[in-house]
Amino acid sequence: MNEQMLDIVDIRKSYRVGPTEVNVLKGINLAVARGELLAIIGPSGSGKSTLMHMLGLLEKPDSGLYAIDGTRVTYDDDRALSTLRNRKIGFVFQQYHLLPKLTALENVGVPLAYRGMAADEIRKQSRTYLAKVDIEHRALHRPNEMSGGQQQRVAIARALVGRPAIILADEPTGALDQKTGEEIMELFRRLNREEGITIVVITHNPALACQCGRSVKIIDGMIYSA
Amino acid sequence: MNLLRVNFNEAFRSLWGARQRSLLALIGIVIGIGSVIAMVSIGTIVQQESIRQFKDMGVDVVTIRRGFGESAAVPFRADVIARLPQEKPQILEVAPYVNSGGDYYRGRAKINLEQMGVTAAFFSINKLAAVKGRLLSDLDANRYCCVVGAELAAFLRQNGLSEPVGGRLTVNDRAYTIVGVLAPSAEGGLRPYGINRGMLAPLSTAQRSFSNADINTILARVAPNTQIERLKAEVSDYFAKKSRGAQVEITSAEELIERMKKQMQMFSLLLGAIGSIALIVGGIGVMNVMLISVTERRSEIGLRRALGAQRGDIQSQFLIESVILCLVGGLIGIVLGTGVAFGFARLSQWQFVMSYTAVLLGFGVSTLVGIFCGFYPARTASRLDPIKALRS
Repeated sequence: MNEQMLDIVDIRKSYRVGPTEVNVLKGINLAVARGELLAIIGPSGSGKSTLMHMLGLLEKPDSGLYAIDGTRVTYDDDRALSTLRNRKIGFVFQQYHLLPKLTALENVGVPLAYRGMAADEIRKQSRTYLAKVDIEHRALHRPNEMSGGQQQRVAIARALVGRPAIILADEPTGALDQKTGEEIMELFRRLNREEGITIVVITHNPALACQCGRSVKIIDGMIYSA
Repeated sequence: MNLLRVNFNEAFRSLWGARQRSLLALIGIVIGIGSVIAMVSIGTIVQQESIRQFKDMGVDVVTIRRGFGESAAVPFRADVIARLPQEKPQILEVAPYVNSGGDYYRGRAKINLEQMGVTAAFFSINKLAAVKGRLLSDLDANRYCCVVGAELAAFLRQNGLSEPVGGRLTVNDRAYTIVGVLAPSAEGGLRPYGINRGMLAPLSTAQRSFSNADINTILARVAPNTQIERLKAEVSDYFAKKSRGAQVEITSAEELIERMKKQMQMFSLLLGAIGSIALIVGGIGVMNVMLISVTERRSEIGLRRALGAQRGDIQSQFLIESVILCLVGGLIGIVLGTGVAFGFARLSQWQFVMSYTAVLLGFGVSTLVGIFCGFYPARTASRLDPIKALRS
């Protein structure tokens, strides 16, 4: 078993904005161990969103190496990349991004549906994970019938349901009030502690970072240990 | 496959979610498919109807007409005609006839009367029956008697002759005793026009008393499986020898039906093409709706990609949506178009025939329109950059 869940070596990314080239990531090196709860803190414009997209396989780096759960990522095959996203990564977004027309239960099942799993099995698994994040009683509700905290719990269940290698949470408490935010962070800690799930939380909030096992800073496209 | 089912559910949900918009696109497709189906069905009904008129008379009938040009000066001779069945055994019966039309007055009422001189075979070949009285037989030769068509009989009844059979009909100063009334017969095919308005006298009588007494046309019944081309050659040859080089023109019911079928196919094609214009407009409506749907659901697409959807998954999701839209529209269109064709048949008192070709065509075309008009939006959706899509 590979002890490194994520391994990033000298990843670089730049964008062309009009005539100027903006270097967003200037050679990032980062390793995340299995079972780790890591916070990546950075002010806005530091490149943390880009890093998050990079980690989530939504963006292709200009150069550098990326291995996830022992698999070296190659970017030229969209099909393989999509499969890798589906199997290895669970996203939690600031804005939850639940599908408004689906119930909580159906929302959780979406990643499994793309694996071609049978409907019954999907329902069973989805229910298990809704229970795991204490939101099972809302299984048949639609997102607009739930509070922000509840929606985020559903989103976390969706991230967990495919047993990914890693959960990537992008400002997971950003849209929540403080108390709910703390509850969500507590949930992450519990999942990390009890289930050994590897979690990377990306935030601009240093207070959140304190609640994580380890934190690194990203400033101006470079990683510094905090 | 499960994913396909999920996509189906999704498609229904999303179409239902934007039902107003879906409905409008649907109407476009309904009208499009409906008009194609209606047009094609009506074409089929017209075709069946005209062929039915032929079949009514039998497809074993040919007409032999005097040729045009120089030989037109040579009329058929009755004795030459009469010997035709003996000389050419493929010909079972011949019915030469003469006809001339003109106004007939009874008091102040007027009818366009068709005077015909016929033989007994004329009735059997044309499948004419008497509703009252009798038909003419060869024993009536040279007698001043006649049978009258249904329309003429009605005219006589309305104008003073309450019982036509036994009554007298005076035309051009000659009085004919009416011996029978014919059942109404459909016009068309090889059957001579105007039988319903006709007074049919014995051919021999007609040749003495009608103003135009030349035999120009012969109806003939041929044996089953007769080779029409060979028959044509033999009959032409026969008349050329016996009638001083007379040329004849022979038309068979089969040929006419074939010709008519071809014309009707062109006609159907034309109608279908007209209907297709509506369909194209409907298809554009679907594409428009799908494009809007893609734009509106950019963030959903981004999310699905982030959760591991393949490009193909996204593409098929939107394709299925567009195909469902078109198929539902097509289904309603088929029902509607068939209804219109049914109404058309009812109004024109023609026999309604369900055109299964049209129904299959409707399903096929609506699926194709769905794929065609959904393809571009679906492809656009599948090519979206997940990050940009997520952010929107």
